[in-house]
Amino acid sequence: MTLLELKKVNFSYHSKEAETVAIKDLSFTVNTGEFVGIIGPSGCGKTTLLNLLAGIYAPASGEILLRGKKVSEADSKIGLMPQRDQLFPWRNIESNILLGPELSGKKKKQSREYAHYLLSKYGLGDFIKKYPSELSGGMRQRAALIRTLVLHPDILLLDEPFSALDFQTRINVCNDVYSIIKQEKKTAILVSHDISECISLCDKIIVLSKRPATVISEINVNLDSNLSPLQKRECKNFSEYFKTIWKLLEDKNEQCTSELSQKK
Amino acid sequence: MSNAHRNYLKKSKIRTIITHILRIGLLIAMIAGWELIAHYKIVDPFIISSPSRMVKVIVTLQQSGELFNHIKASFIETVAGFLIATAVGTLFAIILWWNTLLKDIMEPYIITLNSLPKIALGPIIIVWMGIGKPAIIFMAVLICVIITIISMLSGFMTVDKEKIMLLRSMHANKFQIMTKLIFPANIPNLISVLKINVGLSWVGSIMGEYLSSREGLGYLIVYGSQVFQLDLVMASTVILCVLAGGMYAIVSILEKIIRKKFR
Repeated sequence: MTLLELKKVNFSYHSKEAETVAIKDLSFTVNTGEFVGIIGPSGCGKTTLLNLLAGIYAPASGEILLRGKKVSEADSKIGLMPQRDQLFPWRNIESNILLGPELSGKKKKQSREYAHYLLSKYGLGDFIKKYPSELSGGMRQRAALIRTLVLHPDILLLDEPFSALDFQTRINVCNDVYSIIKQEKKTAILVSHDISECISLCDKIIVLSKRPATVISEINVNLDSNLSPLQKRECKNFSEYFKTIWKLLEDKNEQCTSELSQKK
Repeated sequence: MSNAHRNYLKKSKIRTIITHILRIGLLIAMIAGWELIAHYKIVDPFIISSPSRMVKVIVTLQQSGELFNHIKASFIETVAGFLIATAVGTLFAIILWWNTLLKDIMEPYIITLNSLPKIALGPIIIVWMGIGKPAIIFMAVLICVIITIISMLSGFMTVDKEKIMLLRSMHANKFQIMTKLIFPANIPNLISVLKINVGLSWVGSIMGEYLSSREGLGYLIVYGSQVFQLDLVMASTVILCVLAGGMYAIVSILEKIIRKKFR
């Protein structure tokens, strides 16, 4: 079933110097339960896309529909997990996690119970009253994910959530996050620059071009979904997928450079 | 505990003790030196006064009941100026953060006011507000408020964009972004503003008293210098040192308590 649909979305930034087209005729769909990766060269308008998907910006033209309703309208249930955990240092873990319900001012008691349930389920039960600085990087990332889950989002938006971690933690947190998302049966969109990470996590990968971002290709990843992201990295097909995506990104870059040299 | 660590702890403890002894020793040496220089008339005590003369002045003032009144007057002016300036400055910073158009409009005025020596406005303040406490408090507020606005506003502007994005994705409104994120994130910033304002509010109140007053430590200093009673000038200055130091210490304690939460 189609959960999220982008229809010819356009978005530009305006400044005194110029108009920058960040996103051009972007269309793709995300089905319920899918884990979709969005990958592109740096500066491809990733942050813009996230802002659009989270309903913070409204597209200049085109539509972003969640269950057939525009996301820029209030009450869209999209949960953002930022690049760094962004837990507030002056709040303990519990009150960090209950930030969302606190803002909307409803279902306080239910949310608290759900938060406690998730925290103990995912190994943070002893840290409810601790402050973020007392937790390890991996635990903080898990807490950040739970903060998003407490809102019962239809879709999770992951903004390179592992990029601020060191390599080993990164692999572990990646496994954690993947298993939590699969266990909670959530639909997720991962925006990343890391090809291996995308392949190991996602069912479908959307490859974007340089700015203005548009879809170059959609790749379905057929790896055994019972494997953990780390195990998937050992699959035979893994390197095939890697090569394909690498080539797509590279070709597009070369095209851009050749276009540039022609202009000169 | 290993021997090396025990040695290290012992060394650092000794160092702390030495620091304290020397610190107090320096104070005693200064007072004694001052007293001796004055006593043996190496420099005329009429010009530099002496610790014993200062004590005498303080005792006389104390006995006539004036001392406490003067201290109270300066202290009230300073604390009032300090609190009003911090509150008003922070409020203005919030308003300017809220309305970026207003911020752009106000920017050159704030910068100009910041570089203007506020003391130049002293005579105008006296003409408008008359002689007395309100004028002096206004002076103190004027000196502190601009720097408070500037520091707080720049703190507000540097809050992590990603945190703001996170709140907006949770449908937070502007008021919530302020109260849940921007303001709490700036508490450490507020503390450093408080520290600056401790010093500046004393500048304001003493300056104000120089210009127009009938009581206060600033009044005593000006009065003393006009009648060539250097004992009174020096004694008032020393009291001022103690008060300002005390106020700074209070803010430092506050800082320690709050910093614990904002690691």
